Amino acid sequence: MTTTKPTSLTTDIALLLSIGVVLGLAYNALGLREGNGWGIAWKGVDRVEELKKAPMIGAVQSSASTFVSDDPLAVPAMAETALPEIPDYGRPVQINIEAVKQLYDASAVVLVDAREAWEYDEGHIPGSISLPYEEAITDPVRLEALDTGGRPIVTYCGGGSCEVSLSLAQELIYAGHPRIAVYMGGFPEWITAGYPVEAGEKR
Amino acid sequence: MKTLLDKLAHPNVVRIAGIAIGAVFVIAGLAKIGNPEVFATQVHNFRLTPIVLENLVAMILPWVELVAGTALILGARSRAAAWICAALMIVFTIGIGQAAARGLDFECGCFGKADSSTVGIRKLLENTGLTIVALVATLGRR
Repeated sequence: MTTTKPTSLTTDIALLLSIGVVLGLAYNALGLREGNGWGIAWKGVDRVEELKKAPMIGAVQSSASTFVSDDPLAVPAMAETALPEIPDYGRPVQINIEAVKQLYDASAVVLVDAREAWEYDEGHIPGSISLPYEEAITDPVRLEALDTGGRPIVTYCGGGSCEVSLSLAQELIYAGHPRIAVYMGGFPEWITAGYPVEAGEKR
Repeated sequence: MKTLLDKLAHPNVVRIAGIAIGAVFVIAGLAKIGNPEVFATQVHNFRLTPIVLENLVAMILPWVELVAGTALILGARSRAAAWICAALMIVFTIGIGQAAARGLDFECGCFGKADSSTVGIRKLLENTGLTIVALVATLGRR
């Protein structure tokens, strides 16, 4: 050992760190195989792709037209059962605009706006809760405390390539809210459809 | 005349400290290497790392631990390895401290899935102890 020329400490540290980094990157070159929902999809799970493979919750076709009954009470009873069901799928499922509208009309869903607060203030789906993703991830207690009253949650954001609704949905599942759907069409699609919009800072 | 520091700097003490902390790091590294996705979640739980870096940290950190630990056990470039371990221990201790202070309650993931101990005072004391051992290991000559 005494014969070896003493190497610089910083060089040695850099050497060891490099070996670790190279081994780590090489070992994980195939990416995080599955189950990971965190961070960017760096060679890992593409969460959008994963969501696209999840069931799409669509609108329930009203069976009222085919349902014939003399009993007037039967119709509201049918209407109540004819709501889209968001299952406990273990991860977020997709939901389309028609299904969101049905649930919205029946107040049978908690809508969560994952966009930033100022975007929410400019306009959002009436009754939706503002839970900006960037704020929510630093405050898990806020996610756990979200009171859904037993209703499922639908998250949305700015549509298109916006992924915060999906990321937030994942966080909500980890926070103990099992029934989550992501409305990928988001706020732009909602506006285009001519559905009600609300502005202001009401949270 | 010998101060405590001189006594701790005794080659045998440094060697033993190095092997001890090296073994801890090798075990901790190996426990996490196979399940980067689990560890990524645990990294996330600390809420210290920027989201975009969490996967990267989860992939690389266990390997850095393994390499540094192995170097310490073998006595190759052990002083550099000891500094890496000491620096990591300080970061881990701060991480656990801030999580405990914020009232976050989660498994520390220190030893991957094998370790279900949550962050708290006990883990904090454990880590402080290990940090001291790692610092002793840096006192060697090479």
